[in-house]
Amino acid sequence: MHVKSNQFIKLSQIAVTDEQMKTAVSTGTQTAYNNRIAAMRETSAAHGEMMRQQAAAIKRSALNHLPELLEKTETNMQANGIHVLWAADAAEARQHVLAIAQQHNVKKVTKSKSMVTEEIALNDALEAAGIETIETDLGEYILQLNQEPPSHIVTPVIHKSKESIRDIFEAQLEMPPTNDAREMAHFARQKLREAFLSSDMGITGGNFLVAETGSLGLVTNEGNARMVTSLPPVHVAIVGIEKIVPTMADYATLTQMISRSATGQKLAVYTHLINGPRREHEPDGSEHVYVVLVDNGRSNIYLSDYTEALACIRCGACLNACPVYKVTGGHTYGWVYPGPIGAIVTPLLTGLENASPLPYASSLCGDCKQVCPVDIDIPRMLLDLRHDLVQSGQQPRMWQWGMKAWAFGNTSPGRFQLGGKVAAKVTNKLSLNHLPGPLSGWTNYRTTPSFAPKSFRELWQEREDNNES
Amino acid sequence: MSRDQILSKLQSRKRPFPHISPPTAHHPMTPLSSEADELIARFIQEAEALAAVVHQPEDEPAAVDTILNLIGNDTSILAWDWSHVPLPSLPTELEARNIRIAPHDDAAVRVGITGVNGALAATGSLVMVSGNGRYRTTSLLPPVHIAIMTTDQISPNLESWLENQRAETPDLFKNASNIVIISGASRTADIAMELILGMHGPGELHIILL
Repeated sequence: MHVKSNQFIKLSQIAVTDEQMKTAVSTGTQTAYNNRIAAMRETSAAHGEMMRQQAAAIKRSALNHLPELLEKTETNMQANGIHVLWAADAAEARQHVLAIAQQHNVKKVTKSKSMVTEEIALNDALEAAGIETIETDLGEYILQLNQEPPSHIVTPVIHKSKESIRDIFEAQLEMPPTNDAREMAHFARQKLREAFLSSDMGITGGNFLVAETGSLGLVTNEGNARMVTSLPPVHVAIVGIEKIVPTMADYATLTQMISRSATGQKLAVYTHLINGPRREHEPDGSEHVYVVLVDNGRSNIYLSDYTEALACIRCGACLNACPVYKVTGGHTYGWVYPGPIGAIVTPLLTGLENASPLPYASSLCGDCKQVCPVDIDIPRMLLDLRHDLVQSGQQPRMWQWGMKAWAFGNTSPGRFQLGGKVAAKVTNKLSLNHLPGPLSGWTNYRTTPSFAPKSFRELWQEREDNNES
Repeated sequence: MSRDQILSKLQSRKRPFPHISPPTAHHPMTPLSSEADELIARFIQEAEALAAVVHQPEDEPAAVDTILNLIGNDTSILAWDWSHVPLPSLPTELEARNIRIAPHDDAAVRVGITGVNGALAATGSLVMVSGNGRYRTTSLLPPVHIAIMTTDQISPNLESWLENQRAETPDLFKNASNIVIISGASRTADIAMELILGMHGPGELHIILL
């Protein structure tokens, strides 16, 4: 997917005028936010916090041993009959999938929801090779019909109203007119069922890879991942290398964490583990299972000071908590992953120069860190990315000059006092609310308070003088 | 080769998070006592909260009646092999009414009957392990899923079920290609957050608890 993140400011200026989108996104995120809290406090708030720290420790110690765990996962998966392939980048990942499709004479693919497949632009590559590719998650299906990208990691059409979905179904699928969501969903179910039953290959992502047993963990509420991993003869899973967890006990913690953090459910309706292709004694299931381990910049993150970002289990809780996301929606972030985690991984995976506004798309309120099931310090990383941007000299000349002037004025008590005196006199004569040129960047979004007639230092000095006399 | 490239790149740095140890003992997400009556009550409560209908027939004939009512006038159903379903009188009753068992991949059938390989009280969940005579499609394709189970199959939570498997069937993950934990009826809220049951999997889940 083409990276449009540098247009974040312009895109959000437009987005905030979209009242329907803002209502849909803020209602949707608020519901998920509240449900998460209730689920995490099920036993008690203290227990919920302890489990969060347990999950955080699991992911960090997994990252500590990532190379060995990857090898162990590969060995155990192969012992289970799963073909394991490695992809250094998006192009290689696409090549693997196309090669598998060719090998198995695949004409039709059914996909369950996967953000990493968006990241590697898989659908376009399959379509270009003449392979019909059908998204089966209801939200992704709607987006595919309308040719737009997802706007949320977990609930991809959170930005759409029921009416706009109805219009898409009527236009693209000739659905008989209805305003009933249930009828719409059942109409889609029928269409997708035909696809499930006739597809040659199922493609999924992967929520977890369990090293201990060589298993792939998937979660859905709809049942589409079960369909695409049971009905077609071939199943291909595309999974980022950071999705490894060491043991089944770790998996038990994390799979219950992801459902609670994402939607407030104690477990997703279908929580399943795939341990390989169908066994000899089994009557159904895929005959061939492939797992493609994708790097695509993750190893760079691993080597950086931002390794923590790889702990993310893609639950979307940070999106639901973010006051910026709530108002701008997900498309403004310009790439696959929106919200707080998107503001970090977009520059880290695609380059700071492609996403320079994103580290600033935050008020640093810190709620993202509070709700993160693995306690990722997103605010710290946003600040560090801002620092990186400054160090890289990518900030505009005027901004750099302005900041140097600001630093100069504020690093000596004498200059600070003089500046204050001048500002106080100036505000009495002119309004500071609309400064010209590059300084308007500061004043466009702030109201300058009026300066007191005397500064604190002056008052203090007067008081000292009075006491002495 | 990409594999070696990726691995050697990861190995080239000092290990991250050296001061964080993996948990030595995993706390369960929902600690529960294993007292039988409490487990049963909690299981029913959680399952019903997820739109499952839990039936507690007083004896086998009552269980069969409940199931026949759910099947209604249908002439065919999907079903697991009866050795995996804890209701021995059911097959003969079905035969007596000319209700046939369709091939396991028949997508036109309305009702699917399975047993379970476990149940979780903390989350109202059913555990299905793939295997001979335990078709994946029976609990997936039909819009109505009837799961027949006994109260002694209920474990407190996922963690304890996995622990038991580790002890009793250590080769579980080698022998079974698929383990699915089902918590309630299939659902979506993708259309303006409106909850709709039965998106792709069964929209009606009936649990016959013996």
